[in-house]
Amino acid sequence: MNALPDRYHAADELVLRSPGDGRSLAQRLNKRYGARITGAFVLPAQEGRYAPLPPDLPPALAQALRSRGVNQLYSHQAEAWTATQTGAHVAVATPTASGKSLCYTLPVISAAMQQHAKALYLFPTKALAQDQVAELLELNNAGELGVKAFTFDGDTPGDARQAIRLHGDIVVSNPDMLHQAILPHHTKWAQFFENLRYVVIDEVHTYRGVFGSHVANVIRRLKRVCAFYGVTPQFILCSATIGNPQQHAEALIEDAVTAIVESGAPAGEKHVLLWNPPVVNPDLGLRASARSQTNRIARLAIKSGLKTLVFAQSRSMVEVLTKYLKDVFDHDPRKPPRIRAYRGGYLPKERRAAERDMRAGSVDGIVSTSALELGVDIGSLDVVVLNGYPGSVAATWQRFGRAGRRQQSALGVLVASSDPLDQYLVRHPEFFQGATPEHARIQPDQPLILLDHIRCAAFELPFAGEEMFGNEVATPWLDVLGEEGVLHREGDRWEWIADSYPAIAVSLRAVADGNFVVVDRTNGRQTIIAEVDYSAAPVTLYEGAIHMIQSVPYQVERLDWDGRKAYVTRTAVDYYTDAIDYTKLKVLDCFDSAGAGRGQAHHGEVHVVRRVPGYKKIRFYTHENIGYGPVNLPDQELHTTAVWWQLSQAVLASAFEDRQQALDGFLGAAYALHIVATVAVMAEARDLQKSVGSGDGAWFVSADLSGRGQLRGSDGQPTALAPDAPFTPTVYLYDAFPGGIGQSEPLFQRREDLVAQSITLIERCDCRAGCPGCVGPILAADEHHGEMDVQTPKALALRVLALLVAL
Amino acid sequence: MSALATKLRQLRADAGQTSSIASARSPITVLPERSAAKSKGTSPSTHKTLSPDLRRLLQRHAQLKRGPAYLASNDRDVPGIELSPGLRYTEANVDWLAPPDIVDAAFARMESVHHRRLLHFDTETTGLAGGTGTRAFMIGAADWHDGRFRIRQLTITSMAAETAMLRTFASWLADDTVLVSYNGKCYDSPLLKTRYRLARLPDPLTGLGHLDLLHPVRRHWKGQWENCRLATAERELLGVVREDDLPGSEAPAAWLTYLRGGSARNLRRVLAHNNQDLKSLAGVLLYMARLPHQ
Ligand SMILES: [Zn+2]
Repeated sequence: MNALPDRYHAADELVLRSPGDGRSLAQRLNKRYGARITGAFVLPAQEGRYAPLPPDLPPALAQALRSRGVNQLYSHQAEAWTATQTGAHVAVATPTASGKSLCYTLPVISAAMQQHAKALYLFPTKALAQDQVAELLELNNAGELGVKAFTFDGDTPGDARQAIRLHGDIVVSNPDMLHQAILPHHTKWAQFFENLRYVVIDEVHTYRGVFGSHVANVIRRLKRVCAFYGVTPQFILCSATIGNPQQHAEALIEDAVTAIVESGAPAGEKHVLLWNPPVVNPDLGLRASARSQTNRIARLAIKSGLKTLVFAQSRSMVEVLTKYLKDVFDHDPRKPPRIRAYRGGYLPKERRAAERDMRAGSVDGIVSTSALELGVDIGSLDVVVLNGYPGSVAATWQRFGRAGRRQQSALGVLVASSDPLDQYLVRHPEFFQGATPEHARIQPDQPLILLDHIRCAAFELPFAGEEMFGNEVATPWLDVLGEEGVLHREGDRWEWIADSYPAIAVSLRAVADGNFVVVDRTNGRQTIIAEVDYSAAPVTLYEGAIHMIQSVPYQVERLDWDGRKAYVTRTAVDYYTDAIDYTKLKVLDCFDSAGAGRGQAHHGEVHVVRRVPGYKKIRFYTHENIGYGPVNLPDQELHTTAVWWQLSQAVLASAFEDRQQALDGFLGAAYALHIVATVAVMAEARDLQKSVGSGDGAWFVSADLSGRGQLRGSDGQPTALAPDAPFTPTVYLYDAFPGGIGQSEPLFQRREDLVAQSITLIERCDCRAGCPGCVGPILAADEHHGEMDVQTPKALALRVLALLVAL
Repeated sequence: MSALATKLRQLRADAGQTSSIASARSPITVLPERSAAKSKGTSPSTHKTLSPDLRRLLQRHAQLKRGPAYLASNDRDVPGIELSPGLRYTEANVDWLAPPDIVDAAFARMESVHHRRLLHFDTETTGLAGGTGTRAFMIGAADWHDGRFRIRQLTITSMAAETAMLRTFASWLADDTVLVSYNGKCYDSPLLKTRYRLARLPDPLTGLGHLDLLHPVRRHWKGQWENCRLATAERELLGVVREDDLPGSEAPAAWLTYLRGGSARNLRRVLAHNNQDLKSLAGVLLYMARLPHQ
């Protein structure tokens, strides 16, 4: 629903009459829609920095490059060549379209040609792997280099696998295949491993959190198998721009890497606009839809003769936006289409055809999901519009990187949705200008993840003596597996003894395998459409829940708790559901403490008990609470790590009129801190949780239906404190995974920054009293306080945070 | 249960994974007891973010001294002679069928072969899961030797004896040996190749002729019999009826029980089962060799 009157006619005056470029469109948008633009900046054009083709390249490879028009290298490609030739592990973190793949293609092909050396490529998606093989084959054919490259994934037919194992010089696969198919069958790959020289891991910024922690362990297993075959392969890792590319690469492979972060690729001038849809209801903080704004910007760009790419977050949004644009540009069926959609779910043939049309330039507008985000070559574009924040600054830049020509300025526009994260990011243009705030984090020694991979490793090769696995001596873990009956110890050797294939039971995207599957039963279907981590299930899969999958709402009809299944059907409701979540925390162990303003910050281990007594139905856009439903689920327990902030009773007494105000302030502060922290550690919002409670676990606070804090006792029932009872409210941010996944320690290190950012988040929010973009949804009554009211949830949260700011 | 195990069990329960799910994957429930823990020294672990109490548990656990395994049974008799520590060898020469000099293998689309070159073989393994974690604990091989059917079986009673078993089996193979098996091309042969590779021994199987009877049997009788397993083929073609036969699916547990100090009774039944498999292999082969050409 677009609450604004249609202003296409007014907007059309902005169409550039003469062939325009990114700069002129940015200027016009700025002039006309200045109030919607929260950040505008220009990345100056960069001259290319070049280096000659290295003299030690095999001549046939150099010839093949020249025949493909590559007569010299960008400086970073040459640096990568030099570094790899010294035997170093290399991490390349340069922007999209800077020719990253040549950084690994050159050493890999050279080694294949000169020493019959093999290489393993790991990409996160199949589409990327296929593109990479296509590129390798083109280069190979151009020079008749005799190098054989194959993809090896779940679609590879059985009869082709043997040939790939024996004859592939370059095998392009993904971490899941390595984990479940290659390593547990490594003897079949013996010749491949014996000659394995390079392991290339692209898109390493996607290997973070739980997934990254698993992948780091898969790499440990890979190295262990390599050692069995007497090889020590060199790693070449590539990353999008993140805050810690070298550190992250080193954490993944547990070895020193040479980082290359300066791109030598030429880049045209690039304009970036951060765009917040206009407020249509100031009381509710309600804005026009991102969709309407995206449509408008794309339409202007295409009318101005600029090749435009729109990224949407879901398949259905791709279809909607495509329809809107086609209505304008493709109403004459006799002409070839100017607008195309591109998304996962299309057949490979359809996608190849779309890519060809785009490269040929016959398409003017493309609407795509993230299927197009990486590597896929579709030629040069002028404008990229993001309909919603793609979840990380790194991903935003990757998508903006799609626009750019050497001689001409390009434009990237990020249109914020109403999601709190979007609203937070769009108000912080500095995140997109300076050093990126995002640090990819992993915790490979997370106990459950570690145990799973020691299990898989023991299946692959017996453990012997005091063998290390990563940072740990494996013995105590092997004892546990011995007790479990899967290993047998004989002398100092541990041998796999069970009749099972452990890798099948280990998902790289979950901690332990208590996952729930979501089964779609719409129209008699019986399709698994998603997997949900055990810890997230109680708050997302209760009966009655609206479960969003790629922005499509499904309703949970039945939850089979013991069978770990949720049965859902497609629905068309106008609300979403929000679990009411009573979380009680108890601190078990404090690892570290520090002063935080007039309070204290801590980091340590906690015991969490969580109960979901019911859920709220909240209308889309207006965030009105329109109903309530009960939930009947067992309490969830979790032992994990957390970071927490506390203020003493004395400090609170002097800053707040009463305890209720202080509690409201803590709730709002927790909400804001959670948003900020989620960005800081590149977490999914649900992987990091928040809670407010007493320091000693005696009581906790939940937001009641009005958004105000309700004190509850350890039984979950509303309670009140005796006036003389001790009062130390505490805000916790905790890892939503048993044993923690290493998010809380970096949050503790960045504690001062988090509090400062939370303050600006709230201060810069356009709402009056509080909204889902800053301190959480509040009751309409609260919105009618005067502007200067010092008791709004917003003001109270700011007061708590101010007390926590370093003095 | 160790303290680390307790801690991990708790975290697993937090993750929705019950210990019964984990142990259900293992067929074994009888476990040896452990002696008490003794704690000293530190582990070289350096990672900082693991919770300290878990780290303490790990360090303590690393120092555990294991006690003697509890012997569940006095019946520890595995037949045969000990070729080397942990490797038992049995040999039986039986009167069993009378092969023609030249066995016609056209039914398997192979050239005729002198019966002296045939080596029937069958392995008993720790399971069907596949991959590098499955091993053979018994290799049976049979050939015609001085006019009689010679059945030789190798059984390991320790993990460490596997290498000696693989070496001995390799010594039974000549360049012109033709292997005879039932589904050995897909199962026994790749499994043994993996074991040779893991033991860092040359693979003696690649390059040998291999007469896998499963596929010819399927071609002839699929749809006529309830299934095409060896037990069905031997009953239909040879009239073999087994008594007190240990189902193949129980072989892994039989060996594991013995390995962990339990009774050898079922392991002896595995030997008998394997022995019959070898005889049936020869019987099915000769039956099919006599079938009229199609
Ligand atoms: Zn707000």
